[in-house]
Amino acid sequence: MTQIRAASDVGGTFTDLVYYEIDDRTGEARHITEVKAHTTPPNFQQGVMDALDKAGIDARQMAFFAHGSTVVINTLTERKGAAVGLITTQGFRDVLEIARGNRPDFFNLLYEKPAPFVPRHLRREVAERMTYKGEVAQPLALDASEDSEGLDAILDHFRAEGVEAIAICLLHAYANPAHEQALAQAIAARWPEVAVVASHQICREWREYERTNTAVLNAYVQPRASAYLTQLQDALTTKGFDGAFYVMQSNGGIDTVEAARRTPITIVESGPASGVLGAAALGELLGVRNLIAFDIGGTTAKCSLVDDGQVSLTSQYMIERDDRSAGYPIMTPVVDIVEIGNGGGSIGWIDDFGKLHVGPQSAGADPGPVAYGRGGRDATTTDANLMLGRVNPDYFIGGEVKADMAAVEAAFARLGQPLGLDAVQAARGVIRIANHNMANALKLVSINRGYDPRDFALVAFGGGGGMHAAALAEELNIPSVIVPAKASVFSAWGMLMSDLRRDYVQTHAVAMDAHAADGITDALGALRDQALAAYADEGVKPGRVRFDQALELRYVGQAHTVKVAFDHDRLTADDIDRVLADFHTAYEKTYTYALDNPVELVSLNLTAFAAIDKPTLPKLATTDDPAGALNAARKPDRRVDFDAQGVHQTAIYDRDRLPAGTTFTGPAIVEEAGTTTVVLPGQRVRVDDYGNLHIETGKATA
Amino acid sequence: MTQHDTPSPTRNQAPVDPITVEIIQSSLRAITDEMFATMRKTAMSSIIYEVLDFGVAMFDADGQLASSGSGIPGFIGMLEPGVKSVRAKYHRPGDVGPGDIFMTNIPHHGGVSHMNDVVLILPVFAGDTLIGWLANKAHWVDLGGAFPGGISADARDLYQEGLQLPCIKVIEAGQVNQAVLDIIQANSRQPDISKGDFWAGVASMRAGERRFKALAEKYGTPAVLHAIADYIETGERMARAALKALPHGRFDATERTDDGIELRTTITITDDVFEVDLRGNPPTRADALNCTLDATMVNAQMIFMAICGPDNLANSGTFRPIRLLVDDDSMFAARYPAAVSVYYETTVTGFDLLWKALAPALPERLTAGHYASICGTFLGGPHPETGQALGIVEPQLGGWGAAATRDGVNALYTGYHGDTFNVPAEVAEQRNGLMVDRLSLSEAPGGEGRHMGGRGIRLHYRIMADGWWITTAYVRTENGPWGLDGGRPGSTNFIEVVRASGERSRHAACTALPLNAGDVVEVVTAHGGGYGDPAERPARQVAEDVKNGYVSPDRAAEVYGYRGDPA
Repeated sequence: MTQIRAASDVGGTFTDLVYYEIDDRTGEARHITEVKAHTTPPNFQQGVMDALDKAGIDARQMAFFAHGSTVVINTLTERKGAAVGLITTQGFRDVLEIARGNRPDFFNLLYEKPAPFVPRHLRREVAERMTYKGEVAQPLALDASEDSEGLDAILDHFRAEGVEAIAICLLHAYANPAHEQALAQAIAARWPEVAVVASHQICREWREYERTNTAVLNAYVQPRASAYLTQLQDALTTKGFDGAFYVMQSNGGIDTVEAARRTPITIVESGPASGVLGAAALGELLGVRNLIAFDIGGTTAKCSLVDDGQVSLTSQYMIERDDRSAGYPIMTPVVDIVEIGNGGGSIGWIDDFGKLHVGPQSAGADPGPVAYGRGGRDATTTDANLMLGRVNPDYFIGGEVKADMAAVEAAFARLGQPLGLDAVQAARGVIRIANHNMANALKLVSINRGYDPRDFALVAFGGGGGMHAAALAEELNIPSVIVPAKASVFSAWGMLMSDLRRDYVQTHAVAMDAHAADGITDALGALRDQALAAYADEGVKPGRVRFDQALELRYVGQAHTVKVAFDHDRLTADDIDRVLADFHTAYEKTYTYALDNPVELVSLNLTAFAAIDKPTLPKLATTDDPAGALNAARKPDRRVDFDAQGVHQTAIYDRDRLPAGTTFTGPAIVEEAGTTTVVLPGQRVRVDDYGNLHIETGKATA
Repeated sequence: MTQHDTPSPTRNQAPVDPITVEIIQSSLRAITDEMFATMRKTAMSSIIYEVLDFGVAMFDADGQLASSGSGIPGFIGMLEPGVKSVRAKYHRPGDVGPGDIFMTNIPHHGGVSHMNDVVLILPVFAGDTLIGWLANKAHWVDLGGAFPGGISADARDLYQEGLQLPCIKVIEAGQVNQAVLDIIQANSRQPDISKGDFWAGVASMRAGERRFKALAEKYGTPAVLHAIADYIETGERMARAALKALPHGRFDATERTDDGIELRTTITITDDVFEVDLRGNPPTRADALNCTLDATMVNAQMIFMAICGPDNLANSGTFRPIRLLVDDDSMFAARYPAAVSVYYETTVTGFDLLWKALAPALPERLTAGHYASICGTFLGGPHPETGQALGIVEPQLGGWGAAATRDGVNALYTGYHGDTFNVPAEVAEQRNGLMVDRLSLSEAPGGEGRHMGGRGIRLHYRIMADGWWITTAYVRTENGPWGLDGGRPGSTNFIEVVRASGERSRHAACTALPLNAGDVVEVVTAHGGGYGDPAERPARQVAEDVKNGYVSPDRAAEVYGYRGDPA
């Protein structure tokens, strides 16, 4: 029987589905197809089933199904999670409320701290204590005593207060989880129906506030996320699906649905992560190992760096953190994404002191940019692209809307008036400032992390990616831009091209010298065994698993670490010297100096990938008459304003009619239903075998 | 009397389009942000990367503050006099060149709060033209002196507080003066950390220098100079607009210190001037609770920012409407070589005094009094396993005052701090070889009102080896933070040492008090003041407070008339 592999990504408006069949004789992939259905809140699984129906997929044929969803982040931001009870080590129940005591809005003496997700009376303590070495300083006591109310009283209180999920975080559980495990078992024995999560199940890193908050947020989203995944699985099963079900994770990999149900907090950033994964997968296909994924949506722009095929992760992820608020930490590996409040709908405005700004306020979908003609009066970035002729007013949103250009011009005239700028100058100003803001975000993921943009390609997607990428690449000396084909279903596509991925981070704080070798070898070995055992439980053969290992090192006394990769199973004293030399070199590269101070290890990093089969993609038809084909793809020329690079009568191309192998030189505009690609004067464009646009900026690689 | 006015702006009329100006100005912020991030990643001690006891800033060619890296508000205006002191000392042609870095830590000479705060200053050149300055100041854990960590209320003069670095050129044309570094290392009880923090400061400024020079290369020096001048002028226009919108008049406050001395201030707000009059306060003290004029000026700047709008620019222009009146040779303007190592407590007391004067008139900007003590806690001794000498420098969290519309915030750092992080117990135990027995909200009475003052904390350190010591100099140990509109005062700040024998002793200030294995130091910080009459607090809310343990049933009965009704 023909096998189908499919991936779906639930977005705010549309649920995307991408799938392909595997030829049962040759084993080759064929018919990569995409389908969109409307997203159906609050029963999101319905949108997924609608997409499958629309595609005419027989669920019994589906061998592989990967799913990306915003259920976790929505549950958090809408505050629609479960009533959570928290149990901590005696003396530490207020850690969740004390947090770190910081006040980012530091001139503001009316600052308000983010409220904890568990009120004080639902935060209870048990007598027990581990040391930082993982040794028991005080055994876990569950019975009531003189200075401890005991577990039964805690659970009685939780039941009486309607608690639906319990989070456990005990001090130093990252070093030894025995007390957390015993406590979780004791709760399960006394109250089997309640959801329980212990901090060590999610992360094995120190810093008790961050770990406690992570466990609490996991408990908070667990009932709802788990119910959603179960409903979806049931709906699929009812249709006869018995293949493998995977869920997109925040770390840029996919994992089994069982794992996601246990610790759903690990899928919190799965939406943005899958876009980065799509870019990485495209890079893999094209042999581009170094790239920056760059996604411009309606209200924000997001970027993330892929170094030698690896997505960058952070364990310092926070929600609701900004200049005004300390936010909430989630201590799981999340793709390192910088997001700024500049997208197509961002509004240009002038402050009381005559300074032009763009964003973060957005016109959103309603009323939307002025050009929509739905009552928007504030000029947006999209309006500026129309005003300058970069976007076609007669083919706006694929021709669905006739852009109201008189209103656009009037909006820019109003905007520019206080600065003495005419409408065109004001529109150029909005683009320049938006580009400047986006360039800063790109610098944050590259230059500020010690990478030279000249070594990277910019993969631009989202509705606005193609409009700004060429100018940003020029600004940052990035040699090439790739505007993917089928960018609108890029995220779902990325899931089909991805391996299973699990990240293990284990705090293992020791002096980095010859004595440390055996301990590190053992600890890494234990992590590898843990990963292999977990995969084996799910039927993944050991031969399919590969590991990446790294050590997080720093000079004694520092907080920030530098990662050094390490690929042996065993660590010898010589390896320690080599790793130390790599550390000093990497440190000096980033910070201009190295020290002869002692170095310590903080954490072990292990990433376990399990390879999955991936399709070979079909190629576009080539042409034996490139000049003729290019001409056939031409639409009527128009005048386009390229700001500092002049106003030019510009060739306009219909992307859907550009065959593989075509090349041309800017100035040029490439139009398709979902977006527009701007090519600056002098830039070279090539259409590759899969329909991706490659723009060469003429900037030499470093 | 010293009248501290800021000079008028220099004007640069180069025609640059407004969009380019805006882009350059946004890049100025990016420069100081990058300096800040680099320092945080490379520094060697938690006092820098977690407590954020450091600041970075950039200046125009005349040494006027243009932009600063976020962190502690108390450091933003502090560095400008430091740059001016370098310009004053190195004023001959050729004295300042590309690749130079200057170093200073004498508070009375400008730009420094106490001697542990070492300031590094770097001139930035585009070609041969001086286009601006960068500065970095950071608290170094030990620079020698009579007391470990350099801090003691008992210090009698500067000579006891550590090594003096009198505005020296430590790097000349890129070449480091190794003799200076050797002297510093020889004098420090923590030589490796001092060396690391020195190079972290250098790395931070060099990161800023690269960006600053790239800006001049890209847009041209005239455009960059114009944008910086315009930025400073914009700061002034914002401040003057905000000043006009403030309530005008005279606002007074007095406050009694723990040792019974009355402090006073009068603030006068007009259309053009924000005048802080601190004349008539006590003379320079014999102990280390003095602060310099520059530190006192920062207090005026911070309260001005808080009431004018925390989102405004904070640069040299912003602060032009401020006029500070203070007696020379007083505790708010100490003269060389008066001891100042505990300046931070006097300065936070001074800040609280200005806050108290304005709070009744500005309920939309200011709360009732907060715990108002840095509660700097200095602990040290041998690691119980390695024997390595350790030094801990930590401020403490405390309660903030209630506002007109809501309860106070629990457990936050003082108004002098900003994006300061506490040290996690798990990290402290590994790094410092002690145990943290408790970190919780304090359940002491105090701060009741229609809106309740925020809760202070209890933090218990268990000492695990003999031969340790503790130094503190907490304030607000006698009178709790002030309430407003009938709200009760908050509780007080102190430590209690519980000996292994069970014997207890209470302290506010102590210098190198010996501690041994099994002793426990209990830090207790104050609740903020309440806002409004406690009788007006709704019964349901009181019942919630009791259920959550923020207030004991007995105290609730006494203050609120609580009768055990459920929440």
